[in-house]
Amino acid sequence: MNNIDGSDRHLKTEEAPPPSLLAIVLDTNPHAWAHLSSTLSLSAALANILIFINAHLASGNANEVAVIASHSHKTSFLYPTKTPSQPQQNGKTNGDVDMIGDRAGRSHKESPNKYRPFAVVESTILQNFAKLLDETSEKHLAATPTTLIGGALSLALTYISKSTLLHAPVTSGTENSMAALADAENVHVDRVPLTSRILIVSVSGDLANQYIPVMNSIFAAQRKKIPIDILKLAGDTVLLQQASDATGGVYMKPDRPEGLLQYLMMAFLPDATARASLVVPSAGGVDFRAACFCHRNVVDIGYVCSVCLSIFCNPNLPDNLCLTCGSYLSLRAALTNPPALIPKKKKKKRKAGTDTATPGGSTPAGSNTPLHP
Amino acid sequence: MADSDYSYDGDEVSGDEYVGPRASSSRPTQPAGGGRQTAKEAAPKPARKAWETEYSRTVEKTIVPVNDEDIGQSVQEREEERKRKRLRKDTKPFQRGIIRHVVLVLDLSEAMMEKDMRPNRFYTMINYAQDYVREFFEQNPISQMSVLGMHDGICIRVSELSGNPAEHAAAILGLRSKETGKEPKGAPSLQNALELARATLYHTPNHGTREVIVVFGSLLSLDPGDIHQTVKACVRDRIRVSIIGMGARLKICQEIVTRTNAGDESEYTIATDQEMLKELLIATTTPPVIRSDTASTPQQPEKGAALMMMGFPSRVVEDSPTICACHGNLTLGGYTCSRCSAKVCSLPVTCPSCQLTLLLSTHLARSYHHLFPLRNWATVSWQRAREKNSRDCVGCLTTFPEIPSKQELATRALKKERQSTTGSMLNGHLERGNQAEDDENGEQKASESARYECRSCESHFCIDCDMFCHMVLHNCPGCLSRLDPGAIADAGAQNGDVTMTG
Repeated sequence: MNNIDGSDRHLKTEEAPPPSLLAIVLDTNPHAWAHLSSTLSLSAALANILIFINAHLASGNANEVAVIASHSHKTSFLYPTKTPSQPQQNGKTNGDVDMIGDRAGRSHKESPNKYRPFAVVESTILQNFAKLLDETSEKHLAATPTTLIGGALSLALTYISKSTLLHAPVTSGTENSMAALADAENVHVDRVPLTSRILIVSVSGDLANQYIPVMNSIFAAQRKKIPIDILKLAGDTVLLQQASDATGGVYMKPDRPEGLLQYLMMAFLPDATARASLVVPSAGGVDFRAACFCHRNVVDIGYVCSVCLSIFCNPNLPDNLCLTCGSYLSLRAALTNPPALIPKKKKKKRKAGTDTATPGGSTPAGSNTPLHP
Repeated sequence: MADSDYSYDGDEVSGDEYVGPRASSSRPTQPAGGGRQTAKEAAPKPARKAWETEYSRTVEKTIVPVNDEDIGQSVQEREEERKRKRLRKDTKPFQRGIIRHVVLVLDLSEAMMEKDMRPNRFYTMINYAQDYVREFFEQNPISQMSVLGMHDGICIRVSELSGNPAEHAAAILGLRSKETGKEPKGAPSLQNALELARATLYHTPNHGTREVIVVFGSLLSLDPGDIHQTVKACVRDRIRVSIIGMGARLKICQEIVTRTNAGDESEYTIATDQEMLKELLIATTTPPVIRSDTASTPQQPEKGAALMMMGFPSRVVEDSPTICACHGNLTLGGYTCSRCSAKVCSLPVTCPSCQLTLLLSTHLARSYHHLFPLRNWATVSWQRAREKNSRDCVGCLTTFPEIPSKQELATRALKKERQSTTGSMLNGHLERGNQAEDDENGEQKASESARYECRSCESHFCIDCDMFCHMVLHNCPGCLSRLDPGAIADAGAQNGDVTMTG
C-alpha cells in the first residue's frame, strides 16, 4: 500500500503533547489564611492562580482545568459548576435550565475583548468562591482548625477518572471487551488518552484524622499514574510530602510566598512530557518514619499489632491488649530470645554405628557457643 | 437408548454447566416451563429432540424480550449491571490476616496443553501468574510468597519464599523460556505439592497466615502415598488451601479445601474461561478472614495475634559508594536498618544481618482499606431521586437522567407489568423492599435512576464514580467532604473562641 501511495499519513501518530487536565485543590482554610494575610492575602493568591489557570489553558487547545476548594466544613467544586437543583413545579420540570454563564456575564463588567474561555472560567470561580464564603458561619469556623483535604483529593480523583473515561472511551468490540475484562490496567483506547495531574495549594498544618483517606487517595493516584504536586505556602505536613514523593510530583515550599505566580509558572506549569526534560524540584529526603499511635512520637523501631496494624513505641501494653482493636497480643515475637546455652559435652568414646543426630558425625568438642556476659 | 441423550429436559441444570447469575436465569424458567408443557403434551407422540422444540436452552438464556420503546434505557441498565457485578458483597469488617505467607502452586502437567484457553492453558496461566504476583505484592506489601510447580509427578520449586515480586515474576517467566523452561509433561501430584508447601511454610511465624493457592487444570492426581494423611498434617499445621480448577470439579480437591478451611468449601472455584481465571486469581489478593479458632487468648498465647517488632528505617544518601548488605553491590544510597545499621537497597525487606522486618509506614497503610472497607452504595429508586432532587453526580458533576413525572412512571410500570409473565416487577415500589434482599443476596444490581447513594452521607453518585471509589479509591468523597455534624453542634455551644494551632 505504501508503494502506491508514497505518503505514510496513516502511519504517522499524533506528535503534539497529549491533552492535559489540571485539577487544582485550593486549601481555603480561613484560620490559616488569616495567619498568612500579612504576607499574602487570599484574594491576591486567587488572582495569581487565575492567571496560572489561563496559562495552562493557553498551552494547549484541549487542555482542561478543574478547581476544588477545600474549606473547613465542606469541599466544593469551584469550576466546573454543577447545575443548581431547582424546586419542582407541579411535579413536572419544564426542562429549562438557567445558564450560570449568562448570569455571570451580566453581573460582572463584561470586557468584550477578553478571551471568552478565560472570562468564563474566571467569573465562574469567583462567583462560586463568593458563594462558599457567604455560606460559612461562625459555627463552622469554630468547629475545626483544619481543612478537609482528604475529601477534596477524593473529589479530584473521581473527576479525573470520569474525564479520562469520557475522553477516551474503551471500545466495546467483543474481543476488546474480553481483553479489557482480563487486564483492567491496560485497556485499549482509540484516541489519545487524557493525562492528568493534581496541584494542591496548601496552607494548613498536620492532619491526623485525615491520614487514612489521604493515604487511600495517594495509592489510587499512584495506581492511575496521576502525579500530585504540592505548593506549600504555610504549615507543615509530612503527609503531603509523602504524597508528592510516592506519585512522582513536584514539591515546593517557597520562602517568599508573595512571589506565588513566579513559583506557579516556573515549577508547576510544565506537564508530564515537558517534565521529562526538566530538573524538577522535589522534597529531597522525605521522612517516611512512622509515628506511634500512643504518643505521636516518631519511632525507629516500632511494635505493630498484627490485627489492626497500629504502631506502638513500647511493647509493654496494659494487659497486653492492643489500644486500638483491643485484641490480646502475645509478646513472643516482640522480645528477642537470648541465645540458648548448650552445656559443654564431656568427650566420650563413641562406638561405631551409634545413632547420631546429624549425619556426618557428632560435633567436635569445644565448639559450643560463647557464653553471653 | 441413543435418543434419550438428546431429549429435552426442561429446567434441569447439570452440575458441570456454568450456573450463571441467578437473576438472569430466573426469568427464562417461566417460558421454559411453558416449553416443557408442550413437550409433555407431545409425550404420546415420539419424544421431540432438543433441536426440534421451539426454544433451545441457549436461546432462552440470552434473549430476553424487551419493549422497544425503552431500548435506550435498558441498554444503559444492562451496561451498568455488567459493571456493578464486579462489586462484591458488602462484608462486615472482619479481622483479616494482613501478614500472609502464600505458596502458589502451578499445574505443569499434560492437561495444561489443552487449547480451551488461547493459545493454551499453560501460556495463559503463566501470563496471569505474572500479573497476579505484581498485584499481590501491591495489595499485601508485607507478605511473602513462594512458587511451586507440579511437573511430571514431582513438585519443583520455581522460586523461594521471599517478599520480592521481581524475583517471582522472573522465575515464572523462566518457565516459558526455551533453555530453563519446563514444558508441561506428565501428571500432577497434589500430595507432593502439599508436602513441599508444608515444608516451605513450616518455619513461618504464627502471627501470619499460611496459605496455599493451587491452580489445577488436570482431572487426576498421581500420589505416592496416602493424601489424606497429608491433609491431616496440613490441618494440624493450620495451612489453608484454596484451589482454582480449570477442568471439572474433583472430589479430592473439594475434600482438601473443606478440611483445611474448617468446612468452608467456597475456596474451591472453577474457572470456565480466561477472564474468570484472571478474576478468581485476583480475588485471592484480598487478605483472608481469620477464623475464631485461631484467635489468641491469654490462655493460648502461641496462636493468633502478636505484637511484632518492626523497624522503620530512614533513607541515607552517601558521598562515596558502599556495599549493600542484601546483594553485595556498590550503591550510593539506601536504607539503614534501625537495629544493626546494615545498609539495604529497597523496602520492604528482612534485614540480612539481624532478621528485623524493615518497612515504610506506607506499606502498612496499604492494607488499611481491608480493615476499614468502604460499604457498598445503594441503588436509588425514582421516588427517592425525586425526594433528594439530585441533578449531578457529587463526584464528577455529570448530569443524571431527568426524573420523569409521576404519570410517566405509572405508565411505564403498567407497561412492564403487562409485558412480563412473572408480573411482579413494579420497580418503583418494590425497589426499596428488595433492597434488603439484594444486600443479603450479595448481588449488586443496576439502579433504575442511574444514581447510587451512599447510606451515610446520602449523596448520589454515578456508576463510574461508584466503580472507581469501590475498586481503586476506597473512600467516599461525600462522607469526606462534610464535617461531622456533631462537631459543628459542639462548636456552636462553645463561645466560639478557637485556639490556633498554626
